Amino acid sequence: MIVAAREICKSYGTRAVLRGVSLSCLKGEIAGLIGPNGAGKTTLFRILLGLVSRDSGQLVVHSQSAKPLGGIIEKPALYNYLSAYDNLRVFSRIQGLDFGRKAYEGLMERVGLAPGRKDPVRNYSMGMKQRLGLAVALLNSPECVILDEPFSGLDPIGIRSLQDRIRTLAREQDMAILLSSHNLAELGGLCDTLSVINHGEIVRHGPASEVFGKAVGGYLLYGTGLQHSRLLKALGAEVGSTAAMLTLNGREISDVLRELSAEQGVNVTACIPQTNLYALFEKEIP
Amino acid sequence: MMQLVLMELFKISRQRQTYYAVGAVLVLEGFILMSAFYQGREILEVLLENLRESFEFQGDLMNGNLVIYLVLNSFWFHMPLILMIVVSGFLTVEYKDRTVEATLLQPVSRGGLIVSKYLAALVFTGAILVLLAGSTFGVSYAFFGRGDLVVFLDGLSFFEHPEAIRRLLYAFITGSNTMMFYAVTSLTLAVIFKEATVTWIVAAIFLIINTLLLRLDMDSVFYDYFFLPKLTDSWQYLFYSEIPWGVILKKNLVLWGYTLGTAALGAMIFVKRDVK
Repeated sequence: MIVAAREICKSYGTRAVLRGVSLSCLKGEIAGLIGPNGAGKTTLFRILLGLVSRDSGQLVVHSQSAKPLGGIIEKPALYNYLSAYDNLRVFSRIQGLDFGRKAYEGLMERVGLAPGRKDPVRNYSMGMKQRLGLAVALLNSPECVILDEPFSGLDPIGIRSLQDRIRTLAREQDMAILLSSHNLAELGGLCDTLSVINHGEIVRHGPASEVFGKAVGGYLLYGTGLQHSRLLKALGAEVGSTAAMLTLNGREISDVLRELSAEQGVNVTACIPQTNLYALFEKEIP
Repeated sequence: MMQLVLMELFKISRQRQTYYAVGAVLVLEGFILMSAFYQGREILEVLLENLRESFEFQGDLMNGNLVIYLVLNSFWFHMPLILMIVVSGFLTVEYKDRTVEATLLQPVSRGGLIVSKYLAALVFTGAILVLLAGSTFGVSYAFFGRGDLVVFLDGLSFFEHPEAIRRLLYAFITGSNTMMFYAVTSLTLAVIFKEATVTWIVAAIFLIINTLLLRLDMDSVFYDYFFLPKLTDSWQYLFYSEIPWGVILKKNLVLWGYTLGTAALGAMIFVKRDVK
């Protein structure tokens, strides 16, 4: 384990923001934290990164690195009047790192940015700033990177590209990655474990597939001939000409799809799980 | 720490507002020089009306030294105002852009970071004062020539040119202590208020009140040596016929005490407060 938070509590005045939150992340693991706005995700990450003090609880960091944790909170914060090179130079020098052209090019390649641009970063797109922010977070080789809402403000291609970068950091460079979002689709395919936070409490935790599975309230099927399907009718699906909204009521989706493919004239081309966020954010009764 | 200060200075050198500030200082200096020249003529007419018949003066008394002296009198309100706006911006801009947060996500101590900002603010203030002194002396002597300096403080005093230069230089050095105090204060206000406009308003009010209270006389040793506004104009003592070095030294030491105390307060708040 690289980083672990145990029973963290934090209040602002009389308002409790975190109530005994525990969270951990292993080497090479991508741990997701999902919750609605105001659930306490950012406060928890700020506490992990030492920006905000905790009222009680314990933080454990197992690392010999000079910088055990790197991170981005909300949007990447950069010196907008400086170039990418100068930004990285400033952030390197303040922590006593030797920073030259070679280190710059290596880092830019690592986050998928072209090192040639010399203009101020204020001209960069949100996606490019996000990658440069990631480069700043990766300076001094932290063993864990904490990313708070890293996909916010990115277009779908930007989200995909950043997801690939994060996956590479965890799988190929064995880094622990802790990231948060309020959007399940952004975390679903990326995380190994998923914790759900609401009202300052962890309400669910487990392997991402398991937590994600519990949140699926139904499936949206696309295809042809769906309106003629006897099975869909029997299951009470809302069927249109090209799509059907299906609630499983205890059946396995794999069984349903198999049976549908056996029906004559029915062809399913896409099956999209529909998450029930209300169910996901509700506290799980043990 | 050295790298932190160097990087602070690097950022200052790359920010547009730094050059706006330098431009504003130079424009202001130009206006003050012009008005000092015209103001100087009027003052001299009043002061020397009768004396001209009894004494012989070397050169034109409306010369570079008098202009520099008059410029010095005008500087100490306008310059702190510009300085306080610019120096507080070193931190408020970083709060707004959240680069303070990004810096603290690196292995950098909060104490180290804020101390480096104070040191960079002092270096910047020193550089502005050197520029100001250099340009004031250069322009004044180039356009208005040299000669004896006449001032009216504890009485009418005349200083020959070499003595005038010495006293004017010391006045710049002594006045710089006041500037350093205002620079440090503005950074502390930025730590407290975080937001640029609020910090500017509070800094301007602080400066105005200080300037108003400077004119208040209480005939008390404690008031003269420890009341902050009374410490900010000790450069004037350099134009008394006999320089009271002891008074100047004491006042400046107390002023540095205030400066360090203000910086310590800012550093303490910065270190203790959550970044959110």
